[in-house]
Formats: sequence, structure tokens, C-alpha cells
Amino acid sequence: MKRNALWMVVVGLWLVMGFSQNGLAQDVASVQQEVKKLKPGLSRFLLRGYAHSGFERYEKENSFVGGSFNPIFLWQQSDRLLFEGELEVALEHGSTTIGLEYANMSYILNKRMIIRVGKFLIPFGIFAERLHPRWINRLPSNPLGFDHGEQVGPAAALGAEIRGGAPLGASKINYSIYLINGPSLNDGSENPEEAGMLHFDNYEDNNTNKAIGGRFGFLPFSSSALELGVSAQFAKVGNENTIYQDVGARLFALDLSLVKTIPSLKGIVDVKAQYSMTQVDDARYVDPENPGQTYTFKNENAAYFVRGTFKPAFVANTFIQKLEFAGRYSVLTLAEGAAWGGEKRQWAFSLNYWLDWRTVVKFSYQYTDAPGAEEAAVEHEEEGTPLGGAFLIHWSFGF
Amino acid sequence: MNKHKLLGGLLILVVVLVTVWVIGCASNKTLVTEKSGAQLWGENCVRCHNAPSPPAFNDYQWETIAIHMRVRASLTDEEVQKIVEFLKMAN
Ligand code: HEC
Repeated sequence: MKRNALWMVVVGLWLVMGFSQNGLAQDVASVQQEVKKLKPGLSRFLLRGYAHSGFERYEKENSFVGGSFNPIFLWQQSDRLLFEGELEVALEHGSTTIGLEYANMSYILNKRMIIRVGKFLIPFGIFAERLHPRWINRLPSNPLGFDHGEQVGPAAALGAEIRGGAPLGASKINYSIYLINGPSLNDGSENPEEAGMLHFDNYEDNNTNKAIGGRFGFLPFSSSALELGVSAQFAKVGNENTIYQDVGARLFALDLSLVKTIPSLKGIVDVKAQYSMTQVDDARYVDPENPGQTYTFKNENAAYFVRGTFKPAFVANTFIQKLEFAGRYSVLTLAEGAAWGGEKRQWAFSLNYWLDWRTVVKFSYQYTDAPGAEEAAVEHEEEGTPLGGAFLIHWSFGF
Repeated sequence: MNKHKLLGGLLILVVVLVTVWVIGCASNKTLVTEKSGAQLWGENCVRCHNAPSPPAFNDYQWETIAIHMRVRASLTDEEVQKIVEFLKMAN
């Protein structure tokens, strides 16, 4: 009897264990099924981007502005192949515009070399490629000379590029060499007032000559806190089959980035600076006021900015942690003898409040002046940044 | 015009020299291979924008973002591998 009872208990236990193991195996299998359903394939897609809008009060006008929305599409086809595309959907003078900011394909050839083709942001300095997105630019406005319409240097172009980064002992270097359509020279044939200007949005090349350019970056310290960069670009810019076809342009830029946590200040100091210049060969243009005559001028243009920010990220108070103080000085100097020449300077300050790492509200004041400009020249500047003081309140949202 | 170019160049030069001097005093010579992913993340991902914290994205998203940033920021292969490992472990 006793023996039988023992057997029954053993068999019973075995059955229970068997069943529950069976159940466990089933559970595991169904969890595996669920996980597999969620697991993405080799071809991956990520939709990110940012949006912004704001309110601006200039001396002569005030308005809610912006309302732009920039979706960014990333397709990763393998661990070497990436497509990035950005659209800008914006409101301009009451109608909606859609712009293609960039669309390019990158292929990682090896550890030190990436090849990129398509429309991409140009590493001519750091502003266009690294700092212009609204949630990265710490001020609501772009520095003088780095905005559409008054640009000194390219921002985006169609072409091909090789780039990469490598350690050099405890330091690091990075490089980019690119071939693009290059800027085109406005020879004044359509708009004599603009003769000598370089246009950087040259998507159907005006000549067979391509621009070659590049940037070399050096990070001397092992903490990567400091990066220094030099950039250059060379091209013929004149229209083919005109007297301007051999006119060339040389572009140079220097940039600096310093980001450092300062324990005694309980915060992060960030300094960014860029100096850009363009030199266009001398050429004779038709005088707009005297169509029978021609004139020439030294076609050299420059722009620079220095931006500093401080974020007390490590103080105890959670409100103050999210604040940031930003200041920027920028100068734009356009060729003196040109109808569009002149100089502008700007101070800009901003108090920022970060809601998360990519969402920020910026309260800013900027003052722009044009030393030595005559009334007429100032009026002519209506395309670019308005002169005088301005309050700008912007929010930008990254997602 | 030339005065301003000079001023611009000088301003940048001064900023460069001061920073080189400040950091030069405080920097050490640790190689990337000796650093942890967390340290590399803290040093590199704040250089252009605020550093995103690991929980901001899931593992698959981090892998795509890592390639995007490797291309955009010209980060080295070694750094990116270590940073992604850290982000995927800490999210
Ligand atoms: C050299 C500058 C630079 C560095 C260094 C950098 N980023 Fe970025 N990052 C950018 C720029 C510029 C964008 C915006 C891309 C755009 O809008 O075209 C961006 C966007 C992002 C985004 C938003 C999603 C996306 O892919 O656009 C994430 C997430 C991100 N970075 C994470 C990182 C991480 C993690 C690191 C450290 C490994 C890092 N970044 C280092 C410049 C940088």
C-alpha cells in the first residue's frame, strides 16, 4: 500500500511537472512569435525631424512667423548603406512651400571612408552642416552671412563626397572632399544691380566646370572638447560661352567648436565660431546707371560669427538646470564697389528654456546695424536681415 | 573691409589660443580604446546638440541614428561602436 501511494505521488508529480514544462515551452514559443513580429527586417526606416515657429518684433513690423515643419527620412538598408532626406514645409507669404533640404545616399566603404552622393549639406565650415537646424542653433536667427539671400559660402549642393574620421594618437582628425556643381556668377545680364554676386543654389550647372572643395577638422584633445576646421572650395563660376566663362571663385573658411563642462560653474560652456570668405576674379560688368559703360570692383566678401552659450546643467534647482544663456556677434562684409556691397554687424542674445533635449523656447533680442551705410544702401538691404533692434520669441521642437 | 577681415581672423585666433591653453592644462592623453562607451557618449554627443539620453530611443532606432551621426559628425568607427553598445545597454 505504502509503496503504491509513493508511486502515485511520483507519477503525479511527474505529470504535473511535465504539463507545466509543456506550458512553459508553449509560453516561450508564443513570446518568441510576438518578438519576431516586432523585430524589424534588415531594411529599416526612421522618421524624425523638427518644427518651429515664433513671434518677431522688428522696428517696422511685427508678426507671428515660421510655422515650418521639417520631416527627416532615414532609410538604413544595411549596416553600411543609409539614405537621408529632409523636406522643409513652410509658410511663405501666405502660401505653403515645400523645399528639398537634402536627399543623399551614404555608403560606408571602410572604417575610414564614407562615400556620399546626392544633395547634401556642404561641410564648408560648420554652420550649414552642423548648426543650422532650429533645435541646434541656440538663437532664433542665423548669423549675418549665413542666411538665405545673404550667404557667404555654400549650404547645400548636388554632388559627390568622400568623408571620414580617424584617431591620431589621443587626438582625432576628420576630412571631407567633395565635387559639386558649384556656385554661379550673376553677371548682371538679367539683373544689373546684382552683377558680381555668387548664387549658391545652382542645381542645373551653368557651366561644365565643377567645384572642388573640402574640409579638414582636427580635435587635438582626447576629450574631443575642441575642434578646429579649415575649408576651401574652388570653381569657375561664370556662364558658359560668355566673357565671364573663365571667372573663378575661391572660398575659404575657418571654424572652431569648444564644448566643455566647467565643474566650478556647474554647467557646460559651448563656443562656436566660423569665418568664411569668397574671392571672385575681377570682371567688368555693365553699369546699371549707365548701360553704355562697364565697371569693375574687388569682389571679396566675408562673414563671421562667434557664438557662446552657457547651460547650468548641473545645479540642484531643476528650473535653472533647463535654462541656457546664449550670445552671438556676427559681421557681414560685402564687396565695397558692388551695387550690393556694404557692411552689417549684429549682436544677438537669447535666454533659452529647454523642455527636453530637443525642444526649446528662445527669448531673444538682437541689434543689427550697417555702419557707414547711406540711406539708399540701407533701403536696398530689404532682402536680408532688417536693421535696428528686434525681439524674437521662437520655439522649436525636435522629434 | 580688410580691417574687418583682420578683426575676424584675430578674434578667432584669440579664441583658439585661449581655449587651447585652458584645455591643454587640463587634458589627459587617454586613447579611445581605453575609454568606456558612456564616457565617449558624454564627450561626443554634446558637441553639436544636447546629448540625447539612452532611453530616448530603442535599440533599432539607435543603430540607425548611429550611422546617421557617424556620417554627419565624421565620428570614428571605434567611437560609434562603443557609444551604440552603451546606448543599447542603458536604454
Ligand atoms: C558634429 C556634430 C554632431 C555630433 C558630434 C553629434 N551630432 Fe547628432 N545631430 C547633429 C545634427 C546636425 C543633427 C540634425 C540632423 C538634421 O537635422 O539634418 C543631429 C541629429 C541627431 C539626432 C536626431 C535624429 C537624427 O538622426 O537626425 C539624434 C538622436 C542624434 N543626433 C544623436 C547623436 C548622438 C547619440 C551623438 C553621439 C554619438 C551625436 N548625435 C553627435 C550633429 C551632431
